Amino acid sequence: MELFSLGIRSIFIDNMIFAYFLGMCSFLAVSKKVSTALGLGAAVVFVLSVTTPVNWLLNEFVLKEGALTWANASLATIDLSFLRFIMFIAIIAAMVQLVEMIVEKFAPALYGQLGIFLPLIAVNCAILGGSLFMAQRDYTFAESAVYGFGSGTGFMLAIVALAAIRERLKYSAVPNGLKGLGITMLLTGLMGIAFMSFMGIDL
Amino acid sequence: MSTETVEKAIEKKPAEPLFSKRRKKLVTDPLVDDNPVTIQVLGICSALAVTTQMKPTLVMAISVIFVIAMSNFVISLMRNTIPSRVRIIVQLAVVATLVTLVSEVLKAFAYDMYKELSVFIGLIITNCIVMGRLEAFALGNKPYDSVLDGLGSALGYSWIILTVAFFRELWGSGSVFGVPVFDYVSSIFGPDFKLATNGLMVSPVGAFIILGLIIWVQRTKTGYVEH
Amino acid sequence: MQQSNTYIIVFSAILTIVLGLLLSGTSQVLGPLQQEAIALDKKKQILGAVIDPSEIDNMTPQQINEFYATRISATVVDINGKEISGVEAEKVEIAKDYKKPADKRQYPVFMFHAEGNPEAVESYIFPLYGAGLWDAIWGYMALETDMNTIAGITLAHAGETPGLGARITEGSLQARYVGKKIFDESGELVAVQMQKGEGKDYSSDAHKVDGMSGATITATGVNNMLKAYLGHYQAYIKNKTSNQAVAGL
Repeated sequence: MELFSLGIRSIFIDNMIFAYFLGMCSFLAVSKKVSTALGLGAAVVFVLSVTTPVNWLLNEFVLKEGALTWANASLATIDLSFLRFIMFIAIIAAMVQLVEMIVEKFAPALYGQLGIFLPLIAVNCAILGGSLFMAQRDYTFAESAVYGFGSGTGFMLAIVALAAIRERLKYSAVPNGLKGLGITMLLTGLMGIAFMSFMGIDL
Repeated sequence: MSTETVEKAIEKKPAEPLFSKRRKKLVTDPLVDDNPVTIQVLGICSALAVTTQMKPTLVMAISVIFVIAMSNFVISLMRNTIPSRVRIIVQLAVVATLVTLVSEVLKAFAYDMYKELSVFIGLIITNCIVMGRLEAFALGNKPYDSVLDGLGSALGYSWIILTVAFFRELWGSGSVFGVPVFDYVSSIFGPDFKLATNGLMVSPVGAFIILGLIIWVQRTKTGYVEH
Repeated sequence: MQQSNTYIIVFSAILTIVLGLLLSGTSQVLGPLQQEAIALDKKKQILGAVIDPSEIDNMTPQQINEFYATRISATVVDINGKEISGVEAEKVEIAKDYKKPADKRQYPVFMFHAEGNPEAVESYIFPLYGAGLWDAIWGYMALETDMNTIAGITLAHAGETPGLGARITEGSLQARYVGKKIFDESGELVAVQMQKGEGKDYSSDAHKVDGMSGATITATGVNNMLKAYLGHYQAYIKNKTSNQAVAGL
């Protein structure tokens, strides 16, 4: 039940976009069409669901203070957490590469849709943010898996919804200076207000 | 957007003065006309979350300036030795190292700030401006020019987030850099007068709306229209 | 340009070694400083329960360390109020301990001594830890020597909503707790409950404080935290008060 609430929370309340502004670059750049937004969203869900638990293992068994105790008792005082950023980003880049190769080999059709987005994802703040939040909040393995999947889904939800609005926006008379980024920011703000209503849920 | 600057840099004359016109342009262009945030739509990710107050925003801005300038410098020095197939991961490694340095220094000398910025310092790694400048400029230009280019982009980014933070702190908490401006102003007008703060400004929504308005004002002034 | 695989591997290896050395060097050099900063931060929080936080801000780190050394002593007890020897109270990590069952945790108690009289204890400071709306909340509460009246409280949080729940860190809000009682007349632990809504006067009620408008869940978190954590210290507090009764205080 705890895990279920965590999932709901990471999708709606702790939404990567509306609560933490993470993944804004691709959120703004790839939200002009619903179909591409869906593609990027699916890729983010996938990569977040994989990298968060993998980074959890890395953090728990290598990086944390005393994490190396399993290898040798004399290593109990070693704290490698200063390597956290570089290791997390390396794992993310490697996993993205791996996912890209696997998808290309076994699902060429999916690769055709996701292909161009996958390299972009390595530098998506939402992915690294997911891992950093996971480490900061001391999640368990199961929690980190649920959190990764949930926050990815939250991102997908946000980007698809925004793309749907922006498709309609083409037919509106927006002032010149506000076209594109400006109106998108205001829209995101309004969507954020809508998402704030989820805060009232008592989990 | 950025390919323009690369081409300009190639037609360089020997023994150029330290602050030639072209070099000045490297710094000043990204401030307004080619601002990384409002025109190029980069680097909005990590920074907005810390803009509820001016102080952490300033620390964030300084960290970003340091990371961009230094990573541009280092990558530019190595530009002829980096194997092109692993260039992204090399860039990420260099940036991650620099960000770790910033984070460790903050932890040692400004622990309060370190606590407040928490994961957002780490997220400088994925700030699109950093990677964007490395890819578009540092890989093809000399170190000094790259540092200037990095400084320009970082400053362009800094003034935007500081402006956002100024309005969010003023309207949201009634203060500027922690100085309670609203209380002071209210006291001038007597005990019954009270300037109210707005909770919307401290929530993420306030950041989106203020940034949207800044973009509107700025693009109207520069005449830039997105299609 | 396309380089050979050997070149790429050698390049990556060199880069990894250089960056690795740089980072571990930094962490070696800054490590002690960071430990100091963390320790100082903890001392500030503990002192925050008994003296005005703005006063602490005006002190240099050295002054804080000195003040702490002369005025605070500490002990660690278990859930039954028995002293655990050989554990340094400042080293107990409340957040990590919180994951263990309540009867396995270590409970530090900090004693604030009167100025110029190191024998006399002015107040007892207890750590608090619990969950707010989004993330962890924690703090320190100081009780007067009657082990009932609140002398002061300091609260902190990891991620409460700015402007709403995050207000628990404000001095004016924490001041509402001063003078309240944690036990009712029959000696039952009731702690102090922050009420729903804001702007009412609870000065006549020893167990209620005014709430924060729009932050009911954070307030509930604070209430639960106070009750739970003071509950864990109940055995220790009872011991202290019965000793005082015997000594004729």
